Amino acid sequence: MTAIESPIPLAQRSATEPTFWLLLRLKLTILRNRLRQLTDQTPLQLLMVIGFLATIWLGLFLIFDQVFRFIRHYEKEAIIALPYVFHLFFFSMTILLGFSTAVLVYGSLFAREEPAFLLTTPSKPRNIVAVMYVEALFYSSWSLILLGIPLMAAIGNVQGLRWHFYATFIGTFLGFVPIPGAIGLVIALFIALYLPRMAKRTLMYASGVILILVIVFWGRLWVISSTDNITRQWVHDLLGELSYLKAPLLPSTWVSKAIGFSIQDNPADAAFYLGMTVLTGLCMSHWAISLVACKLRPAFGRAHSAPTHTRKYTGWASRLLTSTAFFYLSAKMRAVILKDVRHFLRDPVQWSQLAILFGLLSLYLFYLPRSRSDGFSTQWQALICFMNFVAITLILSTFTSRFVFPMVSMEGKQIWLAGLWPLTRSQVMWAKFLYAFTVTAVAALPVTWLSIRAVELAPIIGLAQIGATIACCIGLCGLAIGLGARWPNFKEPTASRISSGLGGTINLIASVALVAVNGTLFALTCLYAMNHRDLRGLELRSGVALGAAILISLAAAAFSMTIGIRKFRHQDF
Amino acid sequence: MAILIDNVTKCFGRLRAVDGISLNVKRGELFAFLGPNGAGKTTTIKMMTGLLTPDSGSISVCGHPMSTDAQLAKAKIAFVPDQPFLYSKLTAREFMQFVGEMYGIDRRILPERIEHYMGQLAVTNYADQLAEGYSHGMKQRVVLAAALLHEPDVLVVDEPMVGLDPRTARTVKDIFRDWADAGRTVFMSTHTLEVAEAIADRIGIINHGRIVACGTLDELKAKAAREHRLEDIFLELTDPKDPPEMEEAVVPM
Repeated sequence: MTAIESPIPLAQRSATEPTFWLLLRLKLTILRNRLRQLTDQTPLQLLMVIGFLATIWLGLFLIFDQVFRFIRHYEKEAIIALPYVFHLFFFSMTILLGFSTAVLVYGSLFAREEPAFLLTTPSKPRNIVAVMYVEALFYSSWSLILLGIPLMAAIGNVQGLRWHFYATFIGTFLGFVPIPGAIGLVIALFIALYLPRMAKRTLMYASGVILILVIVFWGRLWVISSTDNITRQWVHDLLGELSYLKAPLLPSTWVSKAIGFSIQDNPADAAFYLGMTVLTGLCMSHWAISLVACKLRPAFGRAHSAPTHTRKYTGWASRLLTSTAFFYLSAKMRAVILKDVRHFLRDPVQWSQLAILFGLLSLYLFYLPRSRSDGFSTQWQALICFMNFVAITLILSTFTSRFVFPMVSMEGKQIWLAGLWPLTRSQVMWAKFLYAFTVTAVAALPVTWLSIRAVELAPIIGLAQIGATIACCIGLCGLAIGLGARWPNFKEPTASRISSGLGGTINLIASVALVAVNGTLFALTCLYAMNHRDLRGLELRSGVALGAAILISLAAAAFSMTIGIRKFRHQDF
Repeated sequence: MAILIDNVTKCFGRLRAVDGISLNVKRGELFAFLGPNGAGKTTTIKMMTGLLTPDSGSISVCGHPMSTDAQLAKAKIAFVPDQPFLYSKLTAREFMQFVGEMYGIDRRILPERIEHYMGQLAVTNYADQLAEGYSHGMKQRVVLAAALLHEPDVLVVDEPMVGLDPRTARTVKDIFRDWADAGRTVFMSTHTLEVAEAIADRIGIINHGRIVACGTLDELKAKAAREHRLEDIFLELTDPKDPPEMEEAVVPM
């Protein structure tokens, strides 16, 4: 074999150091290829994403526009209230951006194979950290752009502001993003260095704690603000709850002030706070990158080190759960379900998301009775019953789309095993359906019961809500399993990527449509039930609407499972 | 010396993955590194390539200590891991272009060099398809071609034969042998003892983090005091007595 000689001497070649810009160009090439692939192979998905984004932007713009027009009618109150809107918005963004950057950077630097490849090349750790940091800021700031642009457009539209407002808003946004980003980068390093074996769990618990604090905060605010007697003391109490948001050292305060001064047509003061935000972001980023680059190798080594202790999985608890919950099935089908149950219980990503979502809903329901000391009128009962039903079914739709749809595909490269099992293929499909239905029903029914108790619903309407929820569980699980078998992706090992493919997109649309139809029919059920003053009876129209909701859910499940089983039966392994 | 490992130790908690090993590999040598699963092969390789820092001891590559001159040392090395890493959204050509620029290869000769090594490893036919569609064998070939691109002084490969068809496996063995004959160094860890027997100049065997034998095949046979095959010598030297104990947590789920 002959090598090709380079005109550059070896000594000079070995001293060449690949730059940050080379790595950045690599990331841009990957992004370009990804977009090209989307437009060539799945233009429908791309159009849908653009369509959804445009709808969300427009919807948010209209909501913000109405809110600011409403506030504008109360000039004196607006002077007090409007700054709090910005303070609260950017304070929330600080926490959310910091958290999302920590998650993204941890994944990029310590969980994937890419840093292992880059660390064996002549790339300096600082360049590796810097490019991963910039990538994480780019992806995590999308939420800010999604909310920020409609907010900016609405304020500018309502107030009739000049160009420098938009420039200040965008500049402050971009300058603000690295501040929580730098904090997130350091948090990721801390987890890699000191909690390497518990990274996923730590991030999961942290997200749960943050969301619980948010709900507690909103709950207290709601309880304070829910009164018909608005006095000076009431205003004082409410603003007192929010006073910490205006702390002068918070970056969210600087951003709010920059935008506030820009609205008041005071570009000089706006520029001062804009400059402070930008410079702080740059300084914090520089320090964070330097710190992480210095510790990158030991942190990477810790994150990828061999476990110092093993875990012995006895599995008796999962076996007991499965044999109890699925006693009515054959031993072979229970064995298939046991495999999936263990997979679910041993993957904190799955059950913790369900626990967090339903936990938040439970907290909201806990605060609900405390917000009205004189109880709920019939109209309020009906309205809250409907809203709770929609909230529960939307959460179920999210869960089934993310975790149930990929179940068939996740058999992956060992799908041929399913073909060899002593079960018919339809039995395998029904086993997966029954497992998914049981998990979702076990999660949804206690929350449904809690929501019925929270507003003291009459038994008949409570039963109607339970029946509709169970039917929705059947419908959503049937859709997810059936469509998951109809459009499987056995090559992809990651559940989230399977959910975001063509089949996952179709399932998402179908799930949301089912929730929308069920929600509408349940709304009619509640509306007609209000004819009975205390909701103690269901007249014919209510019954028909409820029956239609249940039938549609069952039909969706039956249809999807049929087409899924048919495809699975003829699947080549 | 191309590779100098001097009394290196690496611990993970109470587990001593590498326990005071010393190795030297000369320029122009093809060194095969053998050991059972969990013996410390991959940990040693990760320390050699700068992924892990030893708890004690030192590692130098082509005279550059990893602890102080890591960038210079890495410029001399190419590492091919057991699980080949490719960016799924890059083509083979784009990936090799990136690696070539990473190692500072002159842009005037880089395209020609890419074509040369792609042809050598039969990658040309799918060079412009995204890597996410490649089989394991295809990925292995692309990663190896990219590793050879900057003509490293030291080629470190971890389990290079896994997933390769016989023709490609033969090509890879020939490349390694030619590379060593041209004065460069190949450090190869493998479970395929026949490959080590066929092409290696020297063989090192590690067990429970310690070097239990090191030398040419004839020297190992002499040490075993019998005219055995390498497989028999290996099994004798790596008898699974006294495996390291680890704490055990019991989980009921």
